Amino acid sequence: MGSFIKKDLLLFLRDRKEIIITLALPILIIAVLNFAFAGLLDNDEETTLDLQLALVNQDDDENIAEQLEDKLVAEGSVDEAEAAMIAERASYSDPVQALFDFLESEDLQEWITVHELDEVTAAEKVEQGEIDGMLVIPNGFTVESLYAGFTGKAPNVSLAYKMEEETTNNGTLYDIIHGFIDNLNYQFAIQQIGGSNETEIVQPQGGVEQLGEGETFTLAQYFTLAMGILFALFLAITVAAKTGEEIRQKVFNRILVTNSHPMLFLIGKMVSTFILASLQMTVVFILAHFILDVFPGRSVDFWLGVGVIISLFSLGVAGLSAVFTSISLRMKDIDAANGVFSAVVMVLGVLGGNFVPIYVFPDWMQKLGEWTPNGLSLSVLMEWIQYEETSSLMMPSLMLIGFFILCLVIGLAMYPRRGEA
Amino acid sequence: MLETIHLSKSFKGKKAVQDVNLYLDNGESVGLLGPNGAGKSTTISMISTLLKPTSGEIKLNGINTVNKPGEIRKILGVVPQELALYQELSAYENLKFFGSIYKMKGKELEKSIQHALEIVGLKDRQKDLVKTFSGGMKRRINIAAALLHQPQILILDEPTVGIDPQSRNHILETVRLLNETEGTTVLYTSHYMEEVEQLCDRVYIMDDSEVIAAGSKAELLSILSSEDTIKLELSKINEDFVEKLKSMEGVRKVESANSQLKIIAKKGSNLISELVHLADRYQIQLLHYQTETPSLEDVFLHLTGRTLRD
Repeated sequence: MGSFIKKDLLLFLRDRKEIIITLALPILIIAVLNFAFAGLLDNDEETTLDLQLALVNQDDDENIAEQLEDKLVAEGSVDEAEAAMIAERASYSDPVQALFDFLESEDLQEWITVHELDEVTAAEKVEQGEIDGMLVIPNGFTVESLYAGFTGKAPNVSLAYKMEEETTNNGTLYDIIHGFIDNLNYQFAIQQIGGSNETEIVQPQGGVEQLGEGETFTLAQYFTLAMGILFALFLAITVAAKTGEEIRQKVFNRILVTNSHPMLFLIGKMVSTFILASLQMTVVFILAHFILDVFPGRSVDFWLGVGVIISLFSLGVAGLSAVFTSISLRMKDIDAANGVFSAVVMVLGVLGGNFVPIYVFPDWMQKLGEWTPNGLSLSVLMEWIQYEETSSLMMPSLMLIGFFILCLVIGLAMYPRRGEA
Repeated sequence: MLETIHLSKSFKGKKAVQDVNLYLDNGESVGLLGPNGAGKSTTISMISTLLKPTSGEIKLNGINTVNKPGEIRKILGVVPQELALYQELSAYENLKFFGSIYKMKGKELEKSIQHALEIVGLKDRQKDLVKTFSGGMKRRINIAAALLHQPQILILDEPTVGIDPQSRNHILETVRLLNETEGTTVLYTSHYMEEVEQLCDRVYIMDDSEVIAAGSKAELLSILSSEDTIKLELSKINEDFVEKLKSMEGVRKVESANSQLKIIAKKGSNLISELVHLADRYQIQLLHYQTETPSLEDVFLHLTGRTLRD
């Protein structure tokens, strides 16, 4: 069997066109896409924003506790004793200060400049375009916010954000402020449920929020994984095409007239495909990493995990090549067979999210994509990059092994007996 | 040693080979002659176990190889009509691969490779990629790949198609050498009559999926023992002249090409004076006159009514 494997590897390595397509092309595409779409998913672009916000504080923050107690009693929401208790708890809270702290937090500081101005000046500057927008903290905002927070009733006053025209910068500023208010309401709600005595307000995190405690997943990483996987999948077509050449040149017949077992031909194809796919993905990932710094500062364990997924996916590609090889041997028109294989791989590539991220598709397509070896490998690699949880590898690994076994059975069943090819 | 008995093969009801009986004795060189589409390659594919016969038997030393194909594969070397080689591999790599799938390895394999390369005269080019070889050299490597396991029977399916005369002579000499000095039994198919005449002790002539004649060269030529072949070179040819020739007594067949005529006539017809007279009547100058001994080509023409390359 070693001779078959060596022969297939040599034939591949001697084919300069294939080497370029398999190794250089994915790297080139990754680089071009990364350059063209830089910043779409990355948070590296935060520093390029320079938002100017005018803050107009009209609120009277003197004697907040007393104002709140008076309001609670006046509105008849609670009795005097309870109102005093709430006022006492509310004295720990200061929504306006929380807003100031939030806007001046380390995360936002880099790309938002806050100017404390009076309303007239701020309006002028917004009108002149010197400032992106103005945020007005109306009089009574603190008391109203605390009152609303403790009673669950809608506040009578709220923050007002004003802008001259709708722009991306304005939209971003509005979203940030809106996010702050949502967070503030949430904190009050939590406090009510928990009955906490302290109402220290937790600031929302600025910039692009991170999920859980995982690493960020960048666009460059997506392109690297998607292209690496897609081009490894193409190897199944390459192997089938080379089988077609062997049939066309009657080399396959020459093999058949020896006393070697015909199945060795198929096994040789599978093993060489496995080796080529593993090497191809490893080289693409490593080169992309060195050229574009795709996986910075990752541990040896991370790379081992990537290696495991590469191996399992390569097994899937090897299985697919077995099916394609068997079909090639049965088809009379080799070119038609290659066309069918290309179409199959393209469909797999689309469903698996190798061309565009899978979330742009309808639900049923997303679900289907999870069953493709490439889609499964892509999603498990994305998860691995973010969380590095070994348990997340188990199920996909079993599924990829299952896919390989299924392909192997189909490939063996379709493999022609002597005289049928 | 090897014989086929009523061997037939049909593809979707269409007969490709019909009732072929042939045999090869040990050390013999046998030719299988016939035009394209006569059924030679299909017959060879069945003998070499690539195709299963629709009916009939193939026996190797009395054992039916249709049921036990392994028996014949061990001792059979097949040189296909196509260049069944990996163009991207060197001559040596090709031979090493094909040798290894014959389960040869180590020194034995190396020795076989060098021996095969020596036979085909390409030892000094063994490290070159096959794709860099000329057509003739590729054909020679194609033969070498069939010699690695030192087969007792060598089947060559039109091994000289599309190559220059020098390479062709080299291949014919190689086959002759294998047969005469190494004792290899040869089954040589071709539609080049002169190759078969040069190499083979016995000839089977196939046409339209059947063997239409068989025997030694002398036996086949005796089919034409009652005929003379006359070749004429004329200053010009016109149709009336040819028609008149055909109607002459003793003339059986007339073929014309450019300014040349080939006449097959009853032996001893003595047409010379009549020919000169006729040519003079049509104001045609007789440039050359030659009476020929019949060839296998003439035999084929006689049997089928057409030439091998029709």
